[in-house]
Formats: sequence, structure tokens, C-alpha cells
Amino acid sequence: MNSANSAFYKKDILPVGAFAAVLLTMPFWFEYVGGYSGLDTKIVIWIIFAIGFDILLGYMGFLSFGHAAFFGTSAYFTGLMLLHYSDNILPAIAVGVISAIIMAFIIGFLTLKRTGIYFSILTLAFGEMLHSMVLSTLQDWTGGDNGLTGLPTPMLFGLKMQGDNVFYLTVIVAIVMYYIARRIISSPFGLMLKAIKSNQVRLEYTGVHVARYKLMGFVISAVYAGVAGALMIVYEPYVASEFMGWHLSGQVVIMSVLGGVGTLFGPMLGAAFMLYFENVVSVTIGEQWLLVLGAIFMLTVIFLPGGFVEAGSKIKKKLMGGSK
Amino acid sequence: MINSIFLQFLTGIQLGAIYVLISLGLALIFGTLGVVNFAHGAMFMVAAYLGVVISQAEWGGWGMAIVLVPIILFVLGLAMERGLIRFFYTRPHTDQILVTFGLAIVLQEALKWGFGANNLPFATPDWGSGIMRLHDYLPFLEGFVAYPKWRLILTAVSLITVAGLFALLQFTTFGLVVRAGMRDSEMLRLLGINISQRFAIVFALGVSIAGIAGVWGGPVTQVDPGIGMVFLVPSFLVVVIGGMGSLPGAVLASFIIGLAISFSATIPALANIIVYLIAILILLFRPRGLMGQKGVME
Repeated sequence: MNSANSAFYKKDILPVGAFAAVLLTMPFWFEYVGGYSGLDTKIVIWIIFAIGFDILLGYMGFLSFGHAAFFGTSAYFTGLMLLHYSDNILPAIAVGVISAIIMAFIIGFLTLKRTGIYFSILTLAFGEMLHSMVLSTLQDWTGGDNGLTGLPTPMLFGLKMQGDNVFYLTVIVAIVMYYIARRIISSPFGLMLKAIKSNQVRLEYTGVHVARYKLMGFVISAVYAGVAGALMIVYEPYVASEFMGWHLSGQVVIMSVLGGVGTLFGPMLGAAFMLYFENVVSVTIGEQWLLVLGAIFMLTVIFLPGGFVEAGSKIKKKLMGGSK
Repeated sequence: MINSIFLQFLTGIQLGAIYVLISLGLALIFGTLGVVNFAHGAMFMVAAYLGVVISQAEWGGWGMAIVLVPIILFVLGLAMERGLIRFFYTRPHTDQILVTFGLAIVLQEALKWGFGANNLPFATPDWGSGIMRLHDYLPFLEGFVAYPKWRLILTAVSLITVAGLFALLQFTTFGLVVRAGMRDSEMLRLLGINISQRFAIVFALGVSIAGIAGVWGGPVTQVDPGIGMVFLVPSFLVVVIGGMGSLPGAVLASFIIGLAISFSATIPALANIIVYLIAILILLFRPRGLMGQKGVME
């Protein structure tokens, strides 16, 4: 038992270590590939979001078009806490993530009974409902179209959360959450999620209470979205109403699919690619960057459903075959 | 009193008429082909832009726009089905969503590139401008009651389109084949009927109805690159409330939504989310939708 357990840990050391090494050294090499400080923090935040999204889409097989609901709910509650309670980030992040979890239980309860296209439509609808509530019904609290402004500089025990401080905070969170995601995937619970993806009905007939596992999978992915949303506010103390909009939901879908779902690594790569594309490559392409990205996305879906990861393994196979 | 209730009712019907036009094509395509077209809103948007361009062109005009736009959209739909969608029938459903979502982004960004991100003015033609003095025709109204003429015309166009589609599906051989294909396409293939060809036409027909919606609805909505997505979500909700794949359900749901929005308009906080509230209630208490077939989504 003990040896099996340590084997599990060993399996995680190399990828998590490599992940940590790449992220931690980012400030030293990132500017040489055209990046700038600040963008690296944003990429890490989106990586966290994408990891959680992959647990839902890649492993459980549910395509949500409303994940902005959790990112946004957490962002707003984090912002409200910073504004009205204290500039300490810990209670703010905690309340933000808890609000995302509660929201995930509600939306999950309503949408998870459906699968496939129905689920996608319904999550999109609920996301847009929250978006329109933020813009109109709740605008006294959320600031409506202008977003939540005038937030204080977030603090962590006397440490100003700016620049490098935020970067290293998000990197540490990302490393921990990546490790947790790997453990979840390789656990018996992760196996259940994969079983839901391959055949939900059959799993139900074997006596498994599928609904509970689905809800848990959904909530876990919302936790990642919530953490990302809260960190986004720590990174930039301003809550934009777009954090609730379908654009954001669409973005995480695009980056996950581009990278290759069901691999954890793929969506992280996709997140980095997309932000790099949006902020660095767009300077050369100009305003049509989203048009180009949309076209790349379409071509990926049509010809390369496994995304970059599939492309990588195909190239690898070809090279190996050639050398023989 | 009677006046305000009547006007709210009329506004509700008119809103419903727009929702019908936009969601009918979506419901038709979903019901026959089982494809959820995330680019359906983008089709509406393309049609509205085409309407602006053709109606204001030197060689064009409003009459031309009304005739040409649905035809262009029909061809576009045919090309889309033959060139893209048909390769996705055998792929997972999520892939259909992803590829049509990608197409929506591409179309939206292409139009933003060509026309800019701002709202384009889309004037109604002379024969459709101005107001209609309803009290001249309806004696039960008190005093002076007027309504924009174009909105009434739009409502009429919507009803005619609905009637036309129903007639096509109910009374023609083509409609018979399509309806049979909705039930059991495999059986139809065995009988030697080329169902894929019919399905391509159905897809194009659905897109063409979005074209009608775009050219007639454009003047009362907005014409900007975001408009497609703005209307996509409510039209999905229409399809969910009405029952996935049910055309009468979509029509009924559209008018319910239109009336609900118009009668809740005095409470803005409610008016913005009433559509979603109805959808939630339906999901909780009648998951198959108002007129959905038994067993679907239950």
C-alpha cells in the first residue's frame, strides 16, 4: 500500500516540478519572447481557470458555456469584500471562492440533469442571466456597466499585492492547484468522472449515484474558476462586468480546445497561447487578431480535435517513424 | 386603462414576432438535423448587414433587399451545410457546438473589420415609416392610440412566415419527407429517399428564415457586430421553453416571452431577467418544454 502510494507521488513530481520551474522562472525569460510583466500573472490566472475547466470538459465530458458565472461571481464578491470589509486578500478570496461554490451548486443542480447540447445551452443561458442581473437588477451593488471601481490596493499582512508579489502568489496557487488536479484525476473519483464521460447511463445501471459525482465534478471546476476570478481582482483591483459575460466563457472554451482537452497540459498550453496571441501577436496582426484566432479555432476543431497536444504527438510519431 | 393594456399586449405580440422569426430557424434545424447552430445569431447579423447594404445601395433599394437577402442567406446556408456541417453529423455533439461557435466568431469579427464596431443606421422604407392610428380601426380604444407602422408590418411578416413554413411542412411532399426524416431517417434511407439532400435544404431554409428576421427586424433592433450573440441566447431559451425540436412550441414560447417582457416592463429589475425565470420554472416543472415530445429531456 505504502509503495503504491509513493509511486503515485513520484508520478506527479516530474510534471509538477517542471510546471513549477517554468512558471517560477517566467519573469527571467518572458520578456525575451515578447511578453511584458503583468501579462505573465494574467497567463497564470487563466491557467488556473483552464485546469478546472478541463476537469469538467476533458474528463467529465460536459461543455459549459457559462463558466464566467463562477469566475464573475467570485470576482464580484472578492471586489465587494475588498471595498467594504478589509483590504486583506485572504477573507476576500475566501468569500469569493465560497460564493462561486454556492453558485455552482445552484446552477449545477438546474443544468446537470441534461447532457450534451442541452447542458451547453442552459449553462450559457444561466451565465447570461447573471450577466444581465449584474448590469441591471443588481447594479446598485455591482456598479452596472462601469463595473466595481475604487477598490483599495489589496494587502497580505502588510505586503502590498502588486507586481512581483501578485505574480508569485498566483504561481504558488497555480502549482498547488495543478498538483491537486492531478491527484483528483488519478483518484477513484477521477475514474468516476471518466466513466461519466464514456457512458453515463451504464454507470448509473451499475448502481453508482451519478448525479452526485457530476455535481461534485462541476463544483470542483467552479472552485478553479472562482480562485481565478478572485486572483484576477487581486492582480487588478477592478471588477469589469465582462467578467460575467459569455465572452469570458467562450475564451476558456477556446483555449481548452486549442490546447487539447482531457490532458490538463493542453488547456494550460492553450491559455498561455491565447493570452500571448491576444497581447503580443495582436500587435503585429492588428485589430483582426480575434478573426485570425477564430479561424485557427475552427480549423483546430475540424482537423485536429485533440488540439496542440494531438499535433505534438502526431509530429512525434512521424519523427520516430522517419528515423526507423 | 384599456389603452395601456392593449398597447402592452400589442408590444408583447410584436416582441414575440421577432423572437419567432429568429428562433424558428433554430428550432427547425435542431428538430430535423439535431444540430445546435451557435452561428444562427451570426446568420441573423449577416442578414441585417446585407439589408443595410442592399437597401441603401444605388442599384438596390428596399424591395430588392426584401427579396435578395433571404435568397442570399439560403445559398449561404446551403454552402454552410454542404461545406461544414455535414462533416459533423457523425462527430460528438459538442464538436458541432464548437465549430459553429467558431464560425460565429469569425463572421462577427469579419463584419467588425468591414463595417466597424458601431451601430449602422438602418432606416425603414417610406411605405413602412411613421405611425398607424389604431383608434381609427379599433373602436374599443379610447381617444388617440398610435403605433409604429414598421413594427406592425414586422409582426405580419412574422406570422406569414410561420404560416408559410407550416404549410410547407404539412401540405407538400417535401414536407412529408422531412417530417418522416425527423422521425426515422434511417428507415427513409432504406426506402431509397435521398434524405441528406432534403436535410441540406432544410438547413438552408432555417438560415433563410434568419435572413427574413435580419432584414425585417434589423430596423427595430440594432445593426452591430454584437447583435448576433445578443439574440442567440433568447432564441435558445425559446427553443428550451417551447420544447426542443417542436416548432409549434417555439412559436408559443416566443409569444409567451414577448408578452412576459412587455407586461413586466414597468419593473425594470424584473423585465431583464423574466425570460430566464420562465426558463428556470419550465426546467424545474416541465423539463421537456411546453410542447416537447414525451421522453425528450426528461
